[in-house]
Amino acid sequence: MKKFKLLIEGMHCASCANNVERSVGKVSGVKSTSVNILTRKGIIEAEDSVKADDIKNAVAKTGYKVVSLSEE
Amino acid sequence: MKHEHMHDKVGEEDLSMEEKEIRGWKNKLVWSWILVIPIVILMVAERIFMFEIFDMKTSIIIILALGFPIIFILGYGTMKSGFRGFTSLYFNMDSLIALGTFVAYLTGFFALFDLVQDYSGVASMIMAIFITGKYIESKARGRASQEIKKLLELGAKSARVLRNGKEIELPIAEIKIGDVMIVKPGEKIPTDGVVVKGESAVDESMVTGESLPTDKGVNKDGILYIKATKVGNDTFLAHIIELVEEAQGTKVPIQRLADKITGVFVPIILVIALLSFFNWFMFTGDLSRSIGVAVAVLVIACPCALGLATPIALMVGSGIGAKNGILIRKGEAIQTMKEIKIIAFDKTGTITEGKPKVTEVYSKVGEKYLLEVAASLEKLSEHPIAKTIVNYANLKTYKKVTAFKILRGRGLEGKIGSKQILIGNRTLFNERKISLKGFEAKIIDFENSGNTTMIVSENKKILGAIAVADSPKPDSMAALQMLHKQGYKTVMITGDNERTAKAIAASVGISEVIANVLPEEKANKVEELQKEGMVAFVGDGINDAPALKQANVGIAMGSGTDIAIEAGDIVLAKSSLTGVVQAINLSKATFSKIKQNLFWAFAYNVLAIPAAIAGVLHPIIAEIAMAASSITVVSNANLLRRRKI
Repeated sequence: MKKFKLLIEGMHCASCANNVERSVGKVSGVKSTSVNILTRKGIIEAEDSVKADDIKNAVAKTGYKVVSLSEE
Repeated sequence: MKHEHMHDKVGEEDLSMEEKEIRGWKNKLVWSWILVIPIVILMVAERIFMFEIFDMKTSIIIILALGFPIIFILGYGTMKSGFRGFTSLYFNMDSLIALGTFVAYLTGFFALFDLVQDYSGVASMIMAIFITGKYIESKARGRASQEIKKLLELGAKSARVLRNGKEIELPIAEIKIGDVMIVKPGEKIPTDGVVVKGESAVDESMVTGESLPTDKGVNKDGILYIKATKVGNDTFLAHIIELVEEAQGTKVPIQRLADKITGVFVPIILVIALLSFFNWFMFTGDLSRSIGVAVAVLVIACPCALGLATPIALMVGSGIGAKNGILIRKGEAIQTMKEIKIIAFDKTGTITEGKPKVTEVYSKVGEKYLLEVAASLEKLSEHPIAKTIVNYANLKTYKKVTAFKILRGRGLEGKIGSKQILIGNRTLFNERKISLKGFEAKIIDFENSGNTTMIVSENKKILGAIAVADSPKPDSMAALQMLHKQGYKTVMITGDNERTAKAIAASVGISEVIANVLPEEKANKVEELQKEGMVAFVGDGINDAPALKQANVGIAMGSGTDIAIEAGDIVLAKSSLTGVVQAINLSKATFSKIKQNLFWAFAYNVLAIPAAIAGVLHPIIAEIAMAASSITVVSNANLLRRRKI
């Protein structure tokens, strides 16, 4: 298991945060996603096989941009 | 304050992003109103006073021309993000506004050929109101996060550092691990570190306004030379801020329904708008009216209020908490807190000071010999009671101890020469079947007055007993009284024997005591209590981690150790029970705010959408209502700040 922390740009309404959660949630291996519209931060728990790019792409699909991403 | 930006990288990006956003909306706001006011004048003159400044077609062209920049330039971000929803099928709030204003704007062109009524002026006004609403909302959101910003500002901005024997002033961000900082009286200690030279008292409460135990206190007197051990994002303060922000991102279970609804909200509204349009057209044959209704439905629906209701209240609540030294680590805890019936407390360090003192030594072989034996063994243990005894004995030389063993929750054993020494509590002596004959009365006496009694034996013969007392914190009793008044059942869980525990418990007003609990059994005891109802456990960390985890809400106290922070759902910076009362009050207040917000957001949508479908709301009124609903939710959360906790 690992944890991604993201900072996402471009979300300005609660349904945006929801879209990101939905899209990232579909990435296989992702266990949980929590995106906060207020802090613009997302915390994603995923299996070790999940790569940072998978997450970034999933966010991009909804039209928002990952500004920074850290893994732990 | 030239180095103000140098704190915490994540925080800094965040702040500027937020400020950028507010500034962006403000610019758009100003321009949109400059452009929209002439439109409003034209429309009011024509449609209300029936006074034609220009002929109708010219007027429509002017409105279209003024409206274009409002909708497609100032509203570019909204249009882009909204229409992207139609291609990616990830719809959002903007999709509704974008479609609504776009359709309304197009009617202007058709109106030129007298096909429909002109709604293009309405489109511009909707966008202007939407932008205004966004601006007010972003300001209010900024206010909601101000407590966290204040935390960021707490630290020192720059520091004097010794480099190559010279004293130079550097911004905080340039300090490296190992640098020796010079801190003069009255100055803040710039970053976590250890004192290498100098002596002083450091006042932590001053810098934090009685809040967080940062290692960055204020130096009261005397010059300190401090070697930096942690810098930047690794400092305690930075760590705390990160934790708070992370916690603000966690979900509160009650929001699940709102999240589910927000997820499907926009597509459903799109369908409803379409159906309303066809319905109205079928039954009235009035194309203009049907378009008006559909636009009203699109712009009135507000998933934002629903989606913001919980996180905004959590943000304000946890911000207030952080300011008061209460770190809410999991959003879930504030909801669970409401269900808590029983509060279980660890004794040492939680109810009591955790600084035991030797109150009496009782021996039949001479106090000196007893202390010599006891302190030689205790010297090898890290337990607080052991340290107390060692300090009290104050020996010059210690006897050599072999075969030393720590008996967890019981005591110590070891050999001095050929003599087998045991030091510990009653349990230990019962286990070893060593009779306490001749000492029993004195030991009971010690215990009844709240002392922890360390019994010492040599070759299975009792030498004597040392009474150690740990007095309750000054505010424990008052805090427990408040909890009792709120109807909580309180229980003290301790490794101490029954009599000692009861004496302490009675002195602070706790009626139920679970005594003789080994450290590893605390979690089991919590589990047993959970059969009676939801349990909150208050403990000070290291030993208590499993119990903190087992409890429905774990409240970790103050020592500020990482283990305590990790284990608690709520972490108290202050090591006092008043903090527990505050944490409970704050959780309840925050949760009721969340409920209020969700109620308003649901009620708004449930009332407003049908009204729009029924055609009783003009699109402009609908847009004003929509903007007001999200502003209400955010402002209502900000009201939490007025609550005294």
